Amino acid sequence: MTASRVVITGLGIVSSLALDREGTWSAMLEGKDGLGPLTRLDLPAEPAQIAGQVPMAPARHQTLCECMALAALEEALDGFRPGGDPARIGLFQGAGTSGLPVAEAYLEERLAGRRGRAAETSYQSPCTVTDALAQRVGSTGPRSTVMNACSSSLLALGQAWERIVTGELDLAVAGGAESLCRTTYAGFSCLKAVDAQKCRPFSRDRAGLNLGEGAVQVLLEPLDRARARGATIYAEVLGYGASMDAHHPTAPHPEGEGAARALAMALRVGGLDAADIDLVSAHGTATPANDGAECLAIRRALGPAADRVSVTSTKSQFGHTLGAAGAFGAAAAILALRAQVVSPTLRLEDPDPLCDLDCTPLQAKERQIRAALVNAFAFGGNNTSLLLKRWGGA
Amino acid sequence: MTRPQPELVITGLGLVLPCGDGVAAARASLASGQPCFADLPAALGQGRGAACTAFNPAGIIPPMQLRRLDRPSRFAWVAAHQAFLDAGLDPKPAGERIAVAVGTMTGGSEASEAFMRPYLQRGPEGASPMVFPNCVANAASGHLALAFGLKGPSATFVDRENAAFVALEQAARWLRAGLAEVALVIGTDGLFPVLQDLCLGARLLDRHGDPEIGSGRGFLTGEGAQAFLLEPRARAEARGARPWALLRGLAARSSVAPSEAARAESLAAAVLALGAFSPAFRIGGGNGLTRLDAVEARLAAAHPEWPDVIHPKVLWGELAGSGGPLLAAALLQPAGPVLVTAPASSGVQFAAHLEALRPDP
Repeated sequence: MTASRVVITGLGIVSSLALDREGTWSAMLEGKDGLGPLTRLDLPAEPAQIAGQVPMAPARHQTLCECMALAALEEALDGFRPGGDPARIGLFQGAGTSGLPVAEAYLEERLAGRRGRAAETSYQSPCTVTDALAQRVGSTGPRSTVMNACSSSLLALGQAWERIVTGELDLAVAGGAESLCRTTYAGFSCLKAVDAQKCRPFSRDRAGLNLGEGAVQVLLEPLDRARARGATIYAEVLGYGASMDAHHPTAPHPEGEGAARALAMALRVGGLDAADIDLVSAHGTATPANDGAECLAIRRALGPAADRVSVTSTKSQFGHTLGAAGAFGAAAAILALRAQVVSPTLRLEDPDPLCDLDCTPLQAKERQIRAALVNAFAFGGNNTSLLLKRWGGA
Repeated sequence: MTRPQPELVITGLGLVLPCGDGVAAARASLASGQPCFADLPAALGQGRGAACTAFNPAGIIPPMQLRRLDRPSRFAWVAAHQAFLDAGLDPKPAGERIAVAVGTMTGGSEASEAFMRPYLQRGPEGASPMVFPNCVANAASGHLALAFGLKGPSATFVDRENAAFVALEQAARWLRAGLAEVALVIGTDGLFPVLQDLCLGARLLDRHGDPEIGSGRGFLTGEGAQAFLLEPRARAEARGARPWALLRGLAARSSVAPSEAARAESLAAAVLALGAFSPAFRIGGGNGLTRLDAVEARLAAAHPEWPDVIHPKVLWGELAGSGGPLLAAALLQPAGPVLVTAPASSGVQFAAHLEALRPDP
């Protein structure tokens, strides 16, 4: 197989900040966040009442995830009508809650002694979104729906890269969508992982995450095809790394051992050195356990070069979008590579000494960004890191 | 850049099925052709299905940990234990080079019901922090990593009836890219009340309690796990392993429209993508529901030269490992080329060409 260079030629974002890419990016650079009062779910007994909500409503027989994912895909396509062999178009999606709100409603109906809508509930599997996106682009090629919890969509981007780099596909759509639901809200709440205030990644007094929703879709193509059709090229994908902690069902390895291996694998696969990295779009959940361990992982993987990188967390803008979180982190890195600006980590006024990296507090930072790593870590000790490079036209 | 494509073999097999744990039970079940359906225990749901009632994790999963695991994770743990033993491979020293790819249609769902039922009834007081971590589909892979010290790449796929095939495909990719030396591929599913209730309400279940290919009456659910250790043939030979099968080809095609005709065309294209070969044995993914059976029937009608097909889903139920049982049945065939056709209700249709390498015992 001949290796192709893989470039990103489309990016669509539906977020709690804005329903489009540029609106979201502008708001991020201005230091705005999309966190506000929780209204989508009626959970008055929950101590935390903050979430990153997207002002969209799905059509009948459609989940919010599908609705947001399709909107993000439309923006990523930007009028492009994929042609050629439909079997060489692939769909790779990371899912989190997906059809869970429908299942919750069904269970509630059954507990109340009512019949419920079984047919519709059984239809709403996580791959329903993947199928809808495939239908939109006319794909008859590979599809997969990965559920690695919070690293799902970043791994989906890695899968898409794998298929393009080996010359198997001409176009891949990768990303993720996530909507708020009671199971995740109640779950993180009972784990005492939710902050009742707006979350503060990398801060000394960080007290947990806020949940969020949204969708990101990315188009990946071989460089030669992208050039041939005159596509806008946002960035180049160089590879990814993945690992397991084998440490704890929910907590990360305290010294970031597994995460560091994922970062190192991404660098090795992509053929870059630590000194080539200028940005890490971090998992940065604002939970006490994650942020310190992640900074240690970055130090382990990058060594002395860690002191020169900028780190940022999109969780401070959108909350934790779970299955879509990795794709949100990737989107922030892609746009940072394009604009040569790092989006800020909001509310980082008192950094944790454990997080002794430049975590881009409060304000966006203009700087040279040659290459970026994106992190997404998950329950089960699943770690994924994606390696992106600035597109300089060569 | 040109990458060599190493041949991949399956050197370890572990099975938890409604017919019992282990290879011998599965062989006997396939030989007898007797379905494993019975009235389900109340804890798993109402009606008939194929439950792993003989499942025995004693001596394999420590009791303290057993309590914390959902059914798919329990099944996966025992199947993985069998597979490592079968392959003669101690996973711990090589943990960083072992990947895990899981396919499951129900992973996380049993726990989600167990978590939400008391929450909906009692509010936050009913929410259990012990149960919530199992609400993710990748809970099993995390438990496997902890149990066996696995630290390589990991992914969990939820692609309906064929999730285990997607997992196998990803595992093969990691091995070929050199990101792992060995991959543990798992198909796992567990039954739970709301699943049974949903399938019944959606009129998917065979109300006669005896699914039959081509009847159009529907399927019955099943549970279990299958574990396959995949490694490059050269590596397996170097360590003296005795492979079950050579993975000669795995192909997937999807259709834009979910219609029966479009899906049949996709399955036919997947078979075509495997290249020409004459299967000595054939395993099919029909389950008694027209949605799947008709797709396979169209394909078989175009190939009258093919051997008779074995349908594991009418023995062990639908789900039961989300495609894993089809791969397991293929490995248990006498030495020779095996064609597996795996139709799906939507998404990707799979076909696999395995060369079974162990003679019939």
